[in-house]
Amino acid sequence: MSTKKTIVLDDMILTKTMPTTAGSRMLEGYMSLFDAEAVTSLTEAGYEILGKAKCGEFAIDLVGESCYFGCELQDGHFVNDLCEKVKAGSIGVGLDVNGSIRRASAQAGLISIKPTYGTASRFGTVEVACSGETVSVVGSTADDCAEVLSVIAHHDTKDGTSLSSDLCDKVKVCAKKAKKVAILSSSLDGVDDEVRAKIDTFKAILEKNGVEVCVVDSDIFKFARPAWNILMCSELCNNVSRFDGVKYGYRSSNFTTIDELYTNSRTEAFGELLKSAILFGSDNLSTDNYDRAYDKALRVRRVIVEAFDRIFEDFDAVLCPACSKMAYTPEDIKNNKHLCFEENAYTAPASITGLPSVALAGVTLIGPAFSDGMLLDIARMYEEVCK
Amino acid sequence: MKYEVVIGLEVHVELSTKSKIFCSCSAEFGAGPNEHVCPACCGMPGMLPVVNKRVVDLGMTAGMMLNCHINRTTTFDKKSYYYPDLPCAYQTTQWFAPVAVNGYVEIDTPSGKKKVRIKQIHMEEDAGKLVHDIAPDTTHVDFNRTSVPLIEIVSQPDLSSADEVIAYLERLHSLLRFARVSDCRWEQGSMRCDVNLSVRPEGSTKLGVRTEIKNMNSLTAIARAIEYETARHIDAIENGTEVLVQETRRWDDAKGKSFSMRTKETAGDYRYFPDPNIMPIVIDDAWFDEINASLPEFPEVKRERYITELGLSEYDADQITSSRALCDCFEDAYSVCGKAKDCANWIISEVMSILNSKKMTFDMLTLDGKALGALINLVCDGTVGRANGKKVLLAMFDDASIDPKKYAEENGFIVSNDTSLVESVVKKVCDSDPQTVADIRGGRDKAIMALFGRCMKELRGNCDPQVLRKALMDYING
Amino acid sequence: MDYKELRLLEMLNQLSLSDAQKSEMLEFFEKRESDLAILNELDTESVERMVHVMPISTVVREDIASQPFDRDELQRGAPNAELGYWCVPRVVD
Repeated sequence: MSTKKTIVLDDMILTKTMPTTAGSRMLEGYMSLFDAEAVTSLTEAGYEILGKAKCGEFAIDLVGESCYFGCELQDGHFVNDLCEKVKAGSIGVGLDVNGSIRRASAQAGLISIKPTYGTASRFGTVEVACSGETVSVVGSTADDCAEVLSVIAHHDTKDGTSLSSDLCDKVKVCAKKAKKVAILSSSLDGVDDEVRAKIDTFKAILEKNGVEVCVVDSDIFKFARPAWNILMCSELCNNVSRFDGVKYGYRSSNFTTIDELYTNSRTEAFGELLKSAILFGSDNLSTDNYDRAYDKALRVRRVIVEAFDRIFEDFDAVLCPACSKMAYTPEDIKNNKHLCFEENAYTAPASITGLPSVALAGVTLIGPAFSDGMLLDIARMYEEVCK
Repeated sequence: MKYEVVIGLEVHVELSTKSKIFCSCSAEFGAGPNEHVCPACCGMPGMLPVVNKRVVDLGMTAGMMLNCHINRTTTFDKKSYYYPDLPCAYQTTQWFAPVAVNGYVEIDTPSGKKKVRIKQIHMEEDAGKLVHDIAPDTTHVDFNRTSVPLIEIVSQPDLSSADEVIAYLERLHSLLRFARVSDCRWEQGSMRCDVNLSVRPEGSTKLGVRTEIKNMNSLTAIARAIEYETARHIDAIENGTEVLVQETRRWDDAKGKSFSMRTKETAGDYRYFPDPNIMPIVIDDAWFDEINASLPEFPEVKRERYITELGLSEYDADQITSSRALCDCFEDAYSVCGKAKDCANWIISEVMSILNSKKMTFDMLTLDGKALGALINLVCDGTVGRANGKKVLLAMFDDASIDPKKYAEENGFIVSNDTSLVESVVKKVCDSDPQTVADIRGGRDKAIMALFGRCMKELRGNCDPQVLRKALMDYING
Repeated sequence: MDYKELRLLEMLNQLSLSDAQKSEMLEFFEKRESDLAILNELDTESVERMVHVMPISTVVREDIASQPFDRDELQRGAPNAELGYWCVPRVVD
């Protein structure tokens, strides 16, 4: 009998024995014919897969509130199902598309890691924004995250973006202690006092541990969000076009022609947020807009990667908010249906660059590629004080 | 007024691979509906594309055969549109950096050689098949062909008649089959083409309105479609019978007419963008050199060499160079026996007729050419009679592992050098048919063939014909 | 972006928005213009586009065909399949 914690998967991770819905009516009851690589490797490592957690429709929302199958409220704010199940004693594994796992875990008193892009196989995840999305881990402690990361980070021939074993192994160790951490000036725009206090608390703990923390002038947080929204929605538009009511999944009962079958199935099965993302993404790829939107975003991605490279010449990691506020209410969504495309300003820098990111206690840490172990080590400084 | 036709072609060729381009489903033709399909090629989520090396090999091979520049870093892109034969509603193809660009093909025209420039060759996945004749209201969808690898060869608009188009297509057909890029079977859809055509007054530099005839799959239909479209365009220009618009058209060969296509596929914006799941394919020197070294001699170079160096007749050289498999077999046989003329004879008269009787194409030949060379040696040096040699060859078709000499020995096909045996058989046969012997002695020379045949049968073919003939003559005249 | 263009975009993506969502969508596209203005603060003329964040090249696979997948399994969740085919309303050329 294993003494290991159980695993809960978010509904973006495909499983043979349980339905995988991606939080969408489109995939209600959908049974995959194969397991995700993460599921296979965790099972082989002796972990029990306890079940699935609900997620936002195709995981692009704030914290799961767009899930077709509902989202619980607690004290008037949305709660993330994966985080609830982690609180009940499991370790969570999900697909971080647009930061919802990082936001939710940082708000729920948990910790998550979005590892370096290419180290955890995406085989068997519902593809949305393939150039930046990453299989991620949510735990109660940094050790939980490290333990599961060491299983899911490995080379996989079934994923063409999977890195070599040598590189994957790098994320499993802490190669060096962090000595200097930067806070980027642009990252504090728009955050409320509570989150600002979280940053201050974290800063104080780092300093107590002998880590120097400096505020650095940088525009990264200004440019990452608009560029990421273009890339994410464009890739999403293309990826979810396969859901058309023909091969599997939801089919409208109201059609006579093939176009009616497509349009009615998609219109009835997709939520409003997803539709916005599809149309936005499509338009960014159109002949008229490709150069000024999509191509521009690809170039801005390089600018951001290079800006991070320069920061990491002097600093070991970047400390920034995970969100503008510590909880989201239905009122927030009512006021701004597209809030997730603004709130992702804090998570987009790590998404668009593929850099590793650890989220906890209202903040996120971003480090150079393969510094995953070091980021978890920084998180332990916080845990020692606050747990 | 005189007009000239400006034609460019997009030729699709299915590559000869065992598996599909991004998943490992079989790419073989002819399975039952959806029997070569997996979650990836029927559009289910979660399976990521992994590129088949052979596809890149063949894409490079085609590029080199058509004198193209090979892009050492080549990438895949996604093209989006909804159609039931496209399970993901996108096709993975090459838009920004195709595997090969800027090549040319030389064709023969009545006014001499002409270079047809190749704009690019790109690799992509095929779509599935729609079946419309099972039920009246329903289209049945088969994804077996989905993700079967293709190359698309895009020419510049350098062609100016149906004859040139046919010459160009025949040239591509020959080169691609020679390089084993594709079996290029029009009837199975493994070669098909789109024809872009416009008409303008002779001498004009301004292009006319261009129409595209999609999905042509036979040379005769292509020629007819070009004649028809040309006449339609000229009629529209001269007589104003209709207003020409840039559009996609479908050729109906039965009706002998082209029709405007208004399907979903022709509408809208394809929204190409680089595939985030497929990393750039980097062709290093070792890979480039490997493919370059594997290129076959061009068929006309072989033909010339067979005639001038090996002394074959033009007819024999034409026959053998019609197929790469026949060339390989010929060259292997020649390397063993050194008798070019005999090798050509055996291939043209025996091997080709066995293939015909088995209803196999020349390209399906799997005979070991070296073994054929050994067999030719056995027959030429008189160890095995020619008739028995054919029996050995037939056995070699059925079992590639057969060693001709061993097989001939085991089956009693070795020519006997025992003259007393020959003489005794001659005596026996002649004595049993004194009438024929008398006829021959009376001057009916031809009758000797009957006795010769009977003797040979009695000897089970294992006799040098010269030896037998001499023994017969000696006996009859003696 | 106006209603007419939005309608074409919906058709291209096989979607049909409610009137309320149409106006929200138009607002969303307005926001994009300000987002693009932000990106245009960066001169990226000489910056190479970055599709993949990791500078690795493709690892190709050998050309080996695997055992076929079970067709009934593949079509178990199909809204309409018969005789081994997926079925759609008749598509006329």
